[in-house]
Amino acid sequence: MKFLKNLLIIILALTVSAGCKKLDLAPTDRFSDLTFWTTDANVYSALYNNYSLMYNSSLFFYNESLSDNAFSSTGDYNLIASGNATAGTAKFQNDWAYYYSTIKSCNLFLANIDKNTTLSADVKSRLKAETRFIRAFEQFNLTKWYGDVPLVDHDLTPDEAKQIERSPKQTVVQFVISELDSISAILPSQDDLPAAENGRITKGAALALEARVLLYQGDKMADVVTVCEKLMNNQSAYGHYSLAPDYSDLFSNPSVNKTNSEAMLSLQYVPTIRTWSELWDFVPRSVGGRVSSMAPTQELVDSYIMLNGKGINDPGSGYDESDPYANRDPRLSATVVYNGYKWVKPDGSVKIIYIKPGSDPDRSAPDEYNPASQSSSPTGYYWRKYFDPTALANFVSGNNILLIRYAEILLDYAEAKNALGQMDETVWNNTIRLLRQRAGFTDPGALNYPGNTDMTNIIRTERRAEFAMESLRTDDIRRWKIAENVMNGYAHGARFGDPSVDNGYIRVQQRKFNPERDYLWPVPSSEISLNNNLTQNPGYN
Amino acid sequence: MLRYFIYAKKSLLFLMLTIFLTAVYNSADAQNPNVIRGKVQDNTGAPISGVSVILEGSKTGVTTDDNGDYSLPLQNGRRNETIVFSYVGFITQSLPVPVSGVLNVTLTAKTSQLSDVVVVGYGTQKKIDLTGAVNQISSKDIENKPVLNTLQALQGESPNLIIQQSQLDPGSNVTINIRGVGTLGNNDPLIVIDGIIGGDLNTINPNDIASVSVLKDAGSAAIYGSRAANGVILVTTKSGRLNQKPTISYDGNYGTQVPKVLVHKVSASDNAYYKNLSLINSGLPPVYTPEQIQQLKDQGNGTWDVEHLLHDAVLQSHNLSISGGGPTNSYFISGGYQDQKSNLIGNGGSGSPFGYTKYNLRLNETSVIGRLKANIILNYTKTRNKTNSVGDNNIFADANRVPLNFNWKDSAGNYLTNSVASQYNEYGVLEKGGYNQADNDEIFGNVNGELTIAKGLKLTGIFGGTLMNNGNFFKRTQVNYQPSGVYGDDRTVFDNNYKSLLLNTQLYADYTKDIKDHSFKVLVGASNENFSGSGFQLQKTLTDPYLGTPTTGTLVDPVNSYNSLGVDQSSINSLFGRLNYSFKNRYLFEGTFREDASSKFAKGKRAGFFPSANLGWIVSDESFMNHIRQVVNSLKLRATYGVLGNQNVGSYQYQTTYFNYPSAYGFNNVSVGGAGFLLSNEDLTWEKAATLNLGTDVGFFNNSLNISFDYFNKITSNILQPRYDVPQIFGAALPDYNVAKVKNQGWEATVDYKLRGRVVTQTFSLNIADSKNKLLALTGGTTQQIVNQDVFQLIRKVGQPVTQYYGYETNGFFQNQADIDKSPKIPGAVVGPGDLKFKDLNADGIIDDKDKRVLGNPFPRYTFGFNYTIEVKGFDLQLFIQGVAKRDQFLRGELVEPFHYNYGATLYDHQTDFWTPENPDARFPRLAAIGSSSNTYNWRTGSDLYKFNAAYARLKNINIGYTFSGKVTRKTGIQKIRVSLIGQNLITISKLKFIDPETTEFGNNLSLGSYSNSARSYPLPVFYGAGLNLTF
Repeated sequence: MKFLKNLLIIILALTVSAGCKKLDLAPTDRFSDLTFWTTDANVYSALYNNYSLMYNSSLFFYNESLSDNAFSSTGDYNLIASGNATAGTAKFQNDWAYYYSTIKSCNLFLANIDKNTTLSADVKSRLKAETRFIRAFEQFNLTKWYGDVPLVDHDLTPDEAKQIERSPKQTVVQFVISELDSISAILPSQDDLPAAENGRITKGAALALEARVLLYQGDKMADVVTVCEKLMNNQSAYGHYSLAPDYSDLFSNPSVNKTNSEAMLSLQYVPTIRTWSELWDFVPRSVGGRVSSMAPTQELVDSYIMLNGKGINDPGSGYDESDPYANRDPRLSATVVYNGYKWVKPDGSVKIIYIKPGSDPDRSAPDEYNPASQSSSPTGYYWRKYFDPTALANFVSGNNILLIRYAEILLDYAEAKNALGQMDETVWNNTIRLLRQRAGFTDPGALNYPGNTDMTNIIRTERRAEFAMESLRTDDIRRWKIAENVMNGYAHGARFGDPSVDNGYIRVQQRKFNPERDYLWPVPSSEISLNNNLTQNPGYN
Repeated sequence: MLRYFIYAKKSLLFLMLTIFLTAVYNSADAQNPNVIRGKVQDNTGAPISGVSVILEGSKTGVTTDDNGDYSLPLQNGRRNETIVFSYVGFITQSLPVPVSGVLNVTLTAKTSQLSDVVVVGYGTQKKIDLTGAVNQISSKDIENKPVLNTLQALQGESPNLIIQQSQLDPGSNVTINIRGVGTLGNNDPLIVIDGIIGGDLNTINPNDIASVSVLKDAGSAAIYGSRAANGVILVTTKSGRLNQKPTISYDGNYGTQVPKVLVHKVSASDNAYYKNLSLINSGLPPVYTPEQIQQLKDQGNGTWDVEHLLHDAVLQSHNLSISGGGPTNSYFISGGYQDQKSNLIGNGGSGSPFGYTKYNLRLNETSVIGRLKANIILNYTKTRNKTNSVGDNNIFADANRVPLNFNWKDSAGNYLTNSVASQYNEYGVLEKGGYNQADNDEIFGNVNGELTIAKGLKLTGIFGGTLMNNGNFFKRTQVNYQPSGVYGDDRTVFDNNYKSLLLNTQLYADYTKDIKDHSFKVLVGASNENFSGSGFQLQKTLTDPYLGTPTTGTLVDPVNSYNSLGVDQSSINSLFGRLNYSFKNRYLFEGTFREDASSKFAKGKRAGFFPSANLGWIVSDESFMNHIRQVVNSLKLRATYGVLGNQNVGSYQYQTTYFNYPSAYGFNNVSVGGAGFLLSNEDLTWEKAATLNLGTDVGFFNNSLNISFDYFNKITSNILQPRYDVPQIFGAALPDYNVAKVKNQGWEATVDYKLRGRVVTQTFSLNIADSKNKLLALTGGTTQQIVNQDVFQLIRKVGQPVTQYYGYETNGFFQNQADIDKSPKIPGAVVGPGDLKFKDLNADGIIDDKDKRVLGNPFPRYTFGFNYTIEVKGFDLQLFIQGVAKRDQFLRGELVEPFHYNYGATLYDHQTDFWTPENPDARFPRLAAIGSSSNTYNWRTGSDLYKFNAAYARLKNINIGYTFSGKVTRKTGIQKIRVSLIGQNLITISKLKFIDPETTEFGNNLSLGSYSNSARSYPLPVFYGAGLNLTF
């Protein structure tokens, strides 16, 4: 069969010619597992990826609306604050996934960095310590929100992820504290960082986080004191920190924001290159705002004390409900925009913000409170803190976001000392007096030690004013277990409403807080369905 | 007895034929003419020009002239031969050379498709010999539709060729499924254009297409192996024929698209009233006083609506082609220009209006050099799509969410903002805010040769591919609004480009041999396909406000500027073969195989073997059918079984890789890069789909009624999917794994009926199909996966269709407090009369996750197309109806929920059917303020409140034409003139009234990652136009 023979030859030829094409193709724009870690620059790139996953501007600002300081109409924030969230609410799942994905990236780094043989052991140990810090920070955030959570201290396989159990909160906290203890010995002091490394994680950052973790437990106040005293009294060992001279500049003035002695841990941004722009939806429209997606509440405004140190409802405070913003804690106008506010524009000119209905001489009245509008504030207040006059269009800012600042150490210390019954004039003068002086108080009534009557309340109020818009209030009302009081009933706005209802203060949102349930977030139901060993927090089934 | 009779009859016939031929031979010898003359005409007596008249087995041939006349010279000694008359659309006739030297012929138009030749993988087959499930769509079905996209023209033409267009704006792509969804991953069918694997059906000119074959089952598609699991679409473009008179033809149409807006806001005063009602219902103070409402009423409507952003727009198409051929070569050249203007106003500030333009240029040339037939096909396509800079989604949302009392512009021409749309005015964006211009250049080349080595043995080599260059130019320009607001003050400009090359090399041999009653056809071949591509983008902000060019203060956007973007490379080596065997042309067998090795998988997992076996039986040729042959002319039974593959995953997934990216973080105000990672799965390999197909084709009444029916059952295993069984604690996206399994079962039927009369000819063609899939395995031990899609949920559950809507089932509304007290509720919820009642499916007294159920299936079921044509003398009418008989659609957003999230400030006509004590059986619950417990209970719980019936039937196309008779036109040198009136999308019948029922959030793969449909879509354009066809 000549034909068959021909056919065979043809097939053979075809096979040979087709077989020539190479099928082992490696990507040319990426590294493989084998080649990546051996290059030093790649190790640093992997580390910086972990830094970028540490936290983000959206969580930093919007979590404030889960407290009595702010109201957000935005989706899940609205649901959670009003008490309508469930185990299926997306934010619970998204945040969980966010923290665990950062932990994954950290663990992958820790599992692979030793494939590099050219970096020195010391350098590697420092890079590992920075990564362990980030991992501890995520693990702390997880336990803060969800209570008992899986403790992921190594690179999980998919099968491990399907079976891992929740560790008791205590175990997770213990892990975080021991990690922070251990790495604080390895990390460099702030004082030893070359300028180019400004923003890298330091000894001070590790201790500051440790102070926060200990304070949040409520029963470790002596440890809080120990850590804070290291940072306050042994600065040559742990780094020199102090309050920045001007409260407002710390957030707004780029040169102060970027180089100050108060920031202990901050999310680092670079103008025009790595940026954030949440303020676009926080500020009045007349100065470039878009919509008002989160706004300060009347409750926050009311919490600011008078220049004489008294609360607005205290006898002799001098508070005038018809001129409510006069003689108040200067941090109020550094934080909140109220009716008649004088907004200093980037060019130095002043724009008066008219929020009271009918008060704006400009007939379009973009900032006026208008319940039928989505763009004006639902509370009658806007935000000012973190306004960056050098931002690009749409408030695209390169200012750093300060995650832990020295002011927090001072207030941690005051709170711990007070809890231990050790509050005295020396402690006061080293903490709250310094903060009030820096804020601009001069009245001795505000600066001098008031004695220990109602000290708990004073410290709490101080914390609220100092850290408004930094989402610490949300943590505080949960750890103090006062959320069941302050997150129940109506959140209010300015006094632009029907005078017969709540004395004219706008009802913004009706809130519910179930103390049996809401102090912990639910483990996302989707996670429980994939891992039978995960249990649910009470009240979410 | 019967058998003997037939035999006798046959013998007699043979005898007579022999006698006749002998006579012819003898007399021809006697007369000895040198030229044969005659006339060729059709059944009606009209002459046919261009008919090829050729001596069988020779290259000598002529064509008929305008009067249908021909004269064929004969050489001496060639008298005992046969003359072949052939013409497209007519049955070829072979007649012996006549003694008289005169041969008049009447050609019969093809009545039965059974004699057609169908394009199949690596060759053609007679339709009668087909054993697989193949539908061929001819150019006739595609022409006369005023569409720019071939896929739009194919919609409804073949059963179970499911074409969905989720966006209706010009130039938007269309998704295809063949036989529904058979896998959780990629469901794209394989596209083969003129033998070259891989190509873009969106850009090919519909007028250049000669035929489209849809290979649906394993039997027909297995020769394409590893990528054929989702079916194959074979496109053959037009070509010239040997010995064909040059023909020039022009096809064009021109018309207007009128946008049909289906959603309407209530008047501003009604809107204010409803807003107050929603607040009062929630215990909040009203925001409009009665005076304000009266004022809104007196003021009347403004211009702020969708209609004012739209205008009628031109759609036109012009195509010119020349084709012809001599004895050794033939050619086809065509050029096309198609232009669809957008119904959206404006041009973004400069240049041409928004819209889509396409230019095609094609050459197809064949030369016969001895035993070699060489063919070259070249096609160049350019498309340009200019769209607005903000996205249709935003345009329709902003136009809809603002109450009707507002205006886009004031009398001085300023663009206005208001308390709802405080930032943007889309009128201004469309007129001045910049644009995106996508320019695609595509060159397709195909060089192939066919060498006849011996009788029946042919060797074919094909080399070809597509070079694509996709570019975008985006420019956002600043627009200032009154009293406040500004758009585009970042003045972003970017240019990007992606270049790719797809190359195909094939070599195959085929051999045909008949031995008595046995016919053999063998094909073996090998091929390689490889793809490479990469791109770049440069983005700048704060550019020159007019030119968009860099100027003082311009910044390079380091995050959005890249080189080496989307670098990709892949390659497949293949061997394939096919054996056809038939016995007595009645019992058919076909076996195919393909062996593929793909670079997408690791060594050892790379190769896949894909076989199939087909059986066919032409029952009607059996003697026992004789007595009913008057009624049943043809009957064929077909069965195929085979295994197909799917390798549609990203490249390099078997290797863990790390990628660097810029500006991950910063230190000391200086940015630093970061490195991310993509995890691998070394065990990655093909999906395998085992498919059984059973089919039958029956022809009745002289083949005027043809019915085809196919049943299929496909089980796809090793489906490539990310693992859904791994909780997010794992912390990273997983690569694809071969985990899932899906069964897809269904059927399709076509019924064609041709009613041919003396004056009136009518054809009826109906196709209808269904497919039903079922998830057999999801991943690991997990049996279900539920994901949130906006406020409702999607579920994948083993034993159920692959993706379904999921949530609470509603049960009317709470009518009063007593009703509330006794009804189960979500624990802790505060509800009132007019809020939704959910069904307590497990009857435990409360509503919780355990009461959720499957609420609907988003994939179209019972898709159908109906074509009717009627010809009366010169007049013809073509009518085409297409639709889906069953589909559920969940919609989210402001078009469903009144005052949606306070982002929307409006209520629409279709939403006014809400609960009040006087309207207890409403469609929607009572109005309530956003954030209230009532609003949360009704609108954030994911129930069938959001469900709509998206079944529809649409008069997609109507075409009325008149063809001027030959005698009149021939005097002017024109062979044929046809003028027509065309209407498209004239009538739609659907229960879904406020958006187009065809829009969907899903492409062709029902991915769980799809964003829910917010119904913010471009309106359906209704087309009115006219067409002209000229043939010279």
